[in-house]
Amino acid sequence: MDNTPVFAVVGHPNKGKSSVVATLSQNDAIAIALEPGTTRQRQAYPLTVDGRTLYTLVDTPGFQRPRRVLEWLDAHSVSASDRAETVAAFVTQHRDDPRFTDECELLTPLIEGAGIIYVVDGSVPYSAEHEAEMTILRWTGRPSLALINSIGPDDYSNAWQAALGQFFQVVRKFDAVRAHFEQHLSLLRAFGQLEPAWESPLEQATGFLADQRRERKTQAARLIAKALEDMMSYQEKRTLTTNQATETSEQTLADTLRRSWYQHQRRREQTLRVSIEHLYQHKRIQRQEAELEWHSDHDLFSEDSRRVWAVSRRYLATAGFGAGAVGGAGIDALTFGSSLGTVALVGGILGAAGSYFYGDRLALPALKIGALQDGLKTATFGPVQDSQFGYVVLGRAVDHWWHISHRNHAGRDQLDLAPADSHWLENLDRKSRQDIQKVFDRCRKRRTPDDRQRVTFVAAIEQAMTVYDDWRLNRP
Amino acid sequence: MTDTAIRLLLEFDDQVRRDQEQPPAFLHRRDRKYALDCQQRGVSPSPRHWLAHLARLSGQGGEANADAALGTWRRIITGFILAGSALGALTMLGLLFYEGGQRINVTVILAFVLLQCLLAGLTTLQAFAGWQPWRPLLSRFSDQKSVRGLRQLQPQLMARAAHVGGLAFGVCGLLTLLVMVVVQDLAFGWSTTLNTESQRFLGLVQAIATPWQWLWPAAVPDANLVETTRFFRAQTGGIISDPARLGDWWPFVTMAWVFYVVLPRLILAILADGHLRLRASRLLDRHPGLIALHYRMETPTLETGNAHNDAEHQPDTTTNSQLMPLPESDTVICWAGAGEPELPDALNGPDTLVLHAGGRASLQDDTNTLEKAADHLATITRPAVIVVTRSWEPPTAELQDFLQHARELWPSASHVAVVPLTTSGQEEPPTHQVQQWLRFTERFGTNFACVSLPPLFPRNPYRQGEL
Repeated sequence: MDNTPVFAVVGHPNKGKSSVVATLSQNDAIAIALEPGTTRQRQAYPLTVDGRTLYTLVDTPGFQRPRRVLEWLDAHSVSASDRAETVAAFVTQHRDDPRFTDECELLTPLIEGAGIIYVVDGSVPYSAEHEAEMTILRWTGRPSLALINSIGPDDYSNAWQAALGQFFQVVRKFDAVRAHFEQHLSLLRAFGQLEPAWESPLEQATGFLADQRRERKTQAARLIAKALEDMMSYQEKRTLTTNQATETSEQTLADTLRRSWYQHQRRREQTLRVSIEHLYQHKRIQRQEAELEWHSDHDLFSEDSRRVWAVSRRYLATAGFGAGAVGGAGIDALTFGSSLGTVALVGGILGAAGSYFYGDRLALPALKIGALQDGLKTATFGPVQDSQFGYVVLGRAVDHWWHISHRNHAGRDQLDLAPADSHWLENLDRKSRQDIQKVFDRCRKRRTPDDRQRVTFVAAIEQAMTVYDDWRLNRP
Repeated sequence: MTDTAIRLLLEFDDQVRRDQEQPPAFLHRRDRKYALDCQQRGVSPSPRHWLAHLARLSGQGGEANADAALGTWRRIITGFILAGSALGALTMLGLLFYEGGQRINVTVILAFVLLQCLLAGLTTLQAFAGWQPWRPLLSRFSDQKSVRGLRQLQPQLMARAAHVGGLAFGVCGLLTLLVMVVVQDLAFGWSTTLNTESQRFLGLVQAIATPWQWLWPAAVPDANLVETTRFFRAQTGGIISDPARLGDWWPFVTMAWVFYVVLPRLILAILADGHLRLRASRLLDRHPGLIALHYRMETPTLETGNAHNDAEHQPDTTTNSQLMPLPESDTVICWAGAGEPELPDALNGPDTLVLHAGGRASLQDDTNTLEKAADHLATITRPAVIVVTRSWEPPTAELQDFLQHARELWPSASHVAVVPLTTSGQEEPPTHQVQQWLRFTERFGTNFACVSLPPLFPRNPYRQGEL
């Protein structure tokens, strides 16, 4: 016999059963609506590891006629010992009865051995109307846990907790839309406590989920690093014939190239957004992309976004010192140390001074028009020479990643990327700053970073993500 | 000189590059499945096996980029060989140039041999240090896309090409020397501006000849040869007692060329090839793609149950029903605890008949309520009943059954107004809550049931939403 735990998520209609399932199964393609009866059939959502199922969540429709069911059960039961059988008999008897379709759908997994996850809405007052369905669930004799979900802003969870405690083994609060990942894991562990045999698979599942989350963060850092590399080194190029070159003024050409360059950068940023969303299995946000609330002053190249996301002079000076010192140390190495590290020091100071005085100037990528060659003229725009541009993109990317990684799959509201109001990158350690700056410098010179630099760059970005997470959650 | 290790690195790098466009979940599934297959078949997974596995599934043709990159370097090596051969022959002809007046100076040849040794040493040093002074030239004349994967191997590739070219130079030089020895009467001698004694020169050449003195003793110059073949530029037409002695230097020159030009290049070319392979396999071992591949192969794939998609099957939430004015009625039925702890004053007059149904009540209680209401309605001319509900609770089939039953029991002209109340009973319910009740009453199909709001809150004409 298959001992894989199955949990049927049951309850009154429209109390967030599908939301709980969507969040725990990381599926944002489950229909969720403020409309009773959105779920008409039960649907299984197994969590599998290498094809082996560790547990299954079953989303079910809500109770429609609980008192009539209870009346039938009362009428057909002699003693408490036959209650579970009577529930099974009810399902057998009414399988084809359209009046009890919903009840049969939700009771079937229970009579097949599933545990009960009973979901209520803690933002509305307790109602005795639920007692009939809770009694039916108790009749099934299955291990049970009640979840107090919160759909609205009010809180009646204490009253619910008191009432549910009389019907269910365990009562937990769980906000399907806002609960943190640690709370998801804690809830799954609580599922495992319902029956001794379920503890091990649920423990394994939480371990795998935690690993997956860690790996996703690294993968997100890789995606951001790749996008930064592309964007920092991007060059827009046009080849013009002699006629075209004479017909087009330099200003027009500059405007055209600049526009295309900006469009490309915006498209690249959007591609990164979608990749990160898909990584976290948020596939529906993509369709809402056009509806994202992008205020004009959040735009990638606006001065406002630059003010918010760009880093301070002090930050650039630190990173510049590191980059200069590395160059100087190379010269020291050539002299076999006979310069006693003086060149490294001088290089560091020069790098820091350069970054301090020139680093925060928004030096837009310069237009370069080449000489006429074989009747053709080449004009280029980019790569961007201002490292601040990279920090702006990095800041926005990390912010987007943070929102996505903390977004539950039950969430159906629009993703609003409001700008943060602090230079959080200031908290990043010196080594990571230097690693980021080093790659930015290479990219704007159109030199490809080698594998080792890429690895340290990804690690630095991952560190930046951790710093941002700490900053957001006010962790010291 | 096979390029297996380089080809493997290139193909792996190429595959990793292609994989960058793939979703991470797909890559994880693919590689974990491969690792599990290997485990089942008792095969140990390796990059080569992995690439072969992917190639088997995708068919041939994936190695085109590797071919292009290797082809570029093959062309570079061929260029070096051709240039080396031509230069070798020309250089030797130059060194052996003899117009009958002057002798061929062995000292010049030795200096040239020393230069060759130095160049060979520098090439190797440059490969180990990773210097690429010639890189701009390479970028100018080669297809950047094809050499991209080999960027980190360029110093070693260039060293190998240079050594192979140097070897061709040495071999062709040697062949030219031998041909010249056969077809011409070469008159060697030695000369230097420095006031060197013959004895010291003899010591130098004998030291140089040490490596082959056991192999070819005749190729080691003796004191007499050194003594008799010294010449001075100003000494034109000097008398030589035995002119045949002038040709006796050729075995020494040949062996010096073999041992100090050809052999070092041969050894260093083999070393460069080995270094190249070692570096290629090290690069592969440290390749970020390989680290990621190992992770994917070792970590189980996790599917969280997100295959099902019914997001498109949203319920139809449109309704044509409108809110109706609250009918005049003295019968109120509180459904499932609605109106508790007390009904709004507007609904609860002194003569109002307040009944309860649903919620904790049994089905029999519901029937009793309906019968009581029926008796009361039978006595009035315009029978209307107000059913108060909790606005936030969704209408269930139980309420539907209740109202259907009411329709059967009550006089045919009876009319029901469903009044959803908020938790306080004092505010207007939110639009989405009212709408679910409108859709509910719409299902009855006739004018039997409608939704009304009690007059405690006058309707706001500017309110959003179509009610």
